[in-house]
Amino acid sequence: MTTAARGACSDPIDRAILMDYWLALLPSTVEQAVDLHLLGCDACSDRLRETIALSESLSHVARSGELPVIVSDAFVRHAIAAGRQVREYAAMPGESVPCTVSADDDYLVARLGADLRGAGRVDLSLDMRGSEVGRLADIPVNAETGQVICQMSIGWSKAAPDNSVLMRLLSVDEAGAERMLGEYAFHHTRTIPGPPGWTFP
Amino acid sequence: MDVESSESDLTSRVAEGDRAAEAELCRRLVPRIHLYGRRHLGSASAADDLVQLVLIKLIEALRAARLRDRDKLVQFVMGTCRLTVLDLRRTARRQDQLLQRYGADLVPATPPMPRMDDGQLARCIQALTDRERSVVVLTFYDERSAGEAARSLGLSDANVRVIRHRAIKALHACMGGSA
Repeated sequence: MTTAARGACSDPIDRAILMDYWLALLPSTVEQAVDLHLLGCDACSDRLRETIALSESLSHVARSGELPVIVSDAFVRHAIAAGRQVREYAAMPGESVPCTVSADDDYLVARLGADLRGAGRVDLSLDMRGSEVGRLADIPVNAETGQVICQMSIGWSKAAPDNSVLMRLLSVDEAGAERMLGEYAFHHTRTIPGPPGWTFP
Repeated sequence: MDVESSESDLTSRVAEGDRAAEAELCRRLVPRIHLYGRRHLGSASAADDLVQLVLIKLIEALRAARLRDRDKLVQFVMGTCRLTVLDLRRTARRQDQLLQRYGADLVPATPPMPRMDDGQLARCIQALTDRERSVVVLTFYDERSAGEAARSLGLSDANVRVIRHRAIKALHACMGGSA
C-alpha cells in the first residue's frame, strides 16, 4: 500500500478490510500493514472514521431487537448474560404455541425444531390468515443444532393485536420445489394496551 | 505555515528548531495516532493519552535529531505507538508523570466522529439478503464473538468473511458513502 498524507490516497484500503481491521479480524501481519498505512494517510484515516461510525451504528441496530433475522444460540445466551430480557418460545413441527410479549421484553425469539439434515436451501415462510406475509429466504442453518432460531421484531410484536402466525420451514431445491421441514403455529395474545382496531396490512 | 509541506520536510525543519513545523506535524499526526489508539486501546480517552505520549516521544526524538532517516517518520510513529500501547497496558505510572509534565501543552484536537442515521441504517439492513442480515447482526451484536457467533450458523470462516464484506459494501453504498 502506498500512502498520501494529504488529499486522495493512491491506493485506498478497501472498506471491508477497514471494517475487519476495526473488528480485530485481520491476521497480525495484515493488521500491521494497515496500521502503518493509516498512520501516514489522512484519506484512509477519514474512511476508518466512517467505518467506526458504521460499526457503532450497526451494533446499536443489532442490539435493538427490531430486526426479523435468524440468530444463533450464542446470540441468545450473550443477550441473557448481558442482562437483557429474552422471551423465547420453542416449538417442534406440528405444535401450536400460545405466546405474548410484555413491555419489559427486549428480544422475542422462536426456536423451531426440525430435522435439517440434507436440506440445501432453507426458507422460513410466515403465513397469516391463509396467505404468506413474509419469507426469509436462504437462511443460514446449522443442521447439527436441529433448530432454527428466529428473532421477531420486538417493537412490532408489542404493538400487534391478537393474531395467529403459521411459520413454515421449507427446503427449496434448485428447481424451486419446496419440501416442508416443519410447520409451527404461534397464537399471540396481546397483553400490552394499545389502540383498538389495529389490523395487519 | 505552509500546510502543503511534506512530512519529510517538516521532520527536517523540526530538527532545525522550527516550532511552526513542529506544530504542523503534530496537527497532522494527532488524528491518525488517535485512531490507532481507539483501535488498539479500545477507548477514546485512552487514545487521547496515547496521542500525548507518542507526540512527546516524537518531538523529543526530532529535536534531538535522533530520527536519522526523515522518510521513516511513519515507521517511527508506528513503532512508538506500538511500544506505548504496551506500556499503557502494563503500567500507568510513567504515563501519569509525563502527562503531568506535558499534558496541558498537548491536548489532542481530534476530528469529530461522523454520525449515522440509525433509522436509515435499519432500512438498509432490511434490504440485505437474509443470510447477510444474520451475519451482520451476529457480528455486530457482540464484536468479541464475531467469528464464533457467525460460525454457529453453520457457515465457514471464509464464507462468513465473504458475506460480511459484501454486506458492508452494500451498507456503505446504501448509506450514501463512496466505495
